[in-house]
Amino acid sequence: MKKYVFTLVAALLALSSTAQDATTIINKLTLKMNKVKDYSADAVITSDIPMVKILPSKAVVYYKQKDKFKIDAKGIAIVPKQGISDVTKLLADPKSYNPIYMGKEKLGNVMTELVSLFPANDTADLILAKLWIDPVNDIVLKSQVTTRSSGMVTAAYTYGNQMKWGLPDKMVFTVDVKKFKIPKGVATDINRNTAKDGGKDTKKTGEIKVDLTNYKVNIGLKDDFFKEKK
Amino acid sequence: MILKSTWNEFIKIAAKPRSYLGIGAITVLVAVILFALKADGMSFISFVTASFEQTLSFQGDILNGNLVAFIVLQMLVIHIPLLVALVTGDLISGEAAMGTIRMLATKPISRSQLLISKFLAGGAYTLLIVIWLGIMAVVVGKWMFGPGDLMVLNSDGLVILQNADVNWRYIGGFAVAFLALLTVSSLSITLSCFSENSIGPIVTTMAIIILFTIIGTLDVSIFDNVRPFLFTTHMAAWRSFFEEPLPTQQIWNSVIILVGHNVILLAVALLKFNKKDITS
Repeated sequence: MKKYVFTLVAALLALSSTAQDATTIINKLTLKMNKVKDYSADAVITSDIPMVKILPSKAVVYYKQKDKFKIDAKGIAIVPKQGISDVTKLLADPKSYNPIYMGKEKLGNVMTELVSLFPANDTADLILAKLWIDPVNDIVLKSQVTTRSSGMVTAAYTYGNQMKWGLPDKMVFTVDVKKFKIPKGVATDINRNTAKDGGKDTKKTGEIKVDLTNYKVNIGLKDDFFKEKK
Repeated sequence: MILKSTWNEFIKIAAKPRSYLGIGAITVLVAVILFALKADGMSFISFVTASFEQTLSFQGDILNGNLVAFIVLQMLVIHIPLLVALVTGDLISGEAAMGTIRMLATKPISRSQLLISKFLAGGAYTLLIVIWLGIMAVVVGKWMFGPGDLMVLNSDGLVILQNADVNWRYIGGFAVAFLALLTVSSLSITLSCFSENSIGPIVTTMAIIILFTIIGTLDVSIFDNVRPFLFTTHMAAWRSFFEEPLPTQQIWNSVIILVGHNVILLAVALLKFNKKDITS
């Protein structure tokens, strides 16, 4: 009996310690993120998505805590639906998730702490978010967010001179595209027989690169700005 | 002489009330489409992009003048042949029915020149229809919705073309669309040489277009060798200008096929008209 109680207590202690670790890591991360009240940045969005042909497009991105985000694209730009600021938005609401420490993992030359975020609410759109965090600089190097609505989106972050704010210079999103279907009757190019052309892209994932420059941090963006229609 | 005769033929076309049906129909149809897109264009866009929007988000002004013009063209270019054939199918047989062709043949101009002038007048009318469609779709569309990047949906997926890269594509697209409609005009004039009444060539032209379109869309291997040579297969070649990279070889192939059709049809018409026993 004593043996069982000891095992149970040890397990509970271990669980509480990993939860503690994860919470500490996330708190350090959010502390850094919270220094950024708002920002704007110039973006060049390059998409390499099966069945979509688009040249790189320019845009300006705006963010304000906690969950306001806006993209002003000069033409048409394609971004992941679960996108540029979703990890920031998620972390801004600590009540919406439970962090669990999953261990260490090497990403390139950096030894990262892997933390999984589970939804606190059963009905939440979030299924699971995994964050690879650089504990030295308190930045997210990679994220993998799975939601009910958009499937899985993986993002890799590269940092430059805005690392002090935790803002990346480059984000590379990998999105699941196997669901894309062209509605019949809309794409009526009569002189084309796709089945015989054999040119259908069979790639299952697409990649969207977002290069961010000219960051302006804490410029005092108003809430109304995010309601304005272009 | 041939230019004068062409001008006379064009005046005759302009004098017929049915010639304005095409212009009027295009005006009304484009106005209806523009109104519908202005009122609820985003739901149409959502239908097209729904599959992509599960994962991706489209930023920027998707519903713009360039997209509206493309939608208008896609909807109308298929139906314009009827409006063209309605006028050009009447050019010879109408005169035969009215009894004026005999008098026309007494003019100091050869039968070949007379026929060529009718082909040229029919071509000019077709050009006028295409230009009017262009004005209504592109100019009015951009005026109402403003310019922007063009999102084209074809069977291979989405192609997004930048605003600055679109105008020359419209010019090329309209040129090929004109060539396709000119083939319809040539077909109906050629059929007109074989008929003594107005309705026959018009209905026959439409019947041929429907038949060839069905053969072209039926994915049956027996038609594989025929399909590339049907002019209806190349009537949608204008869309190729909106692909990236530009399928130059495919466009030239369509142009050659369509020009070939026009030359053959003109030759057949010349042969028939020169030997035609004009008794009316």
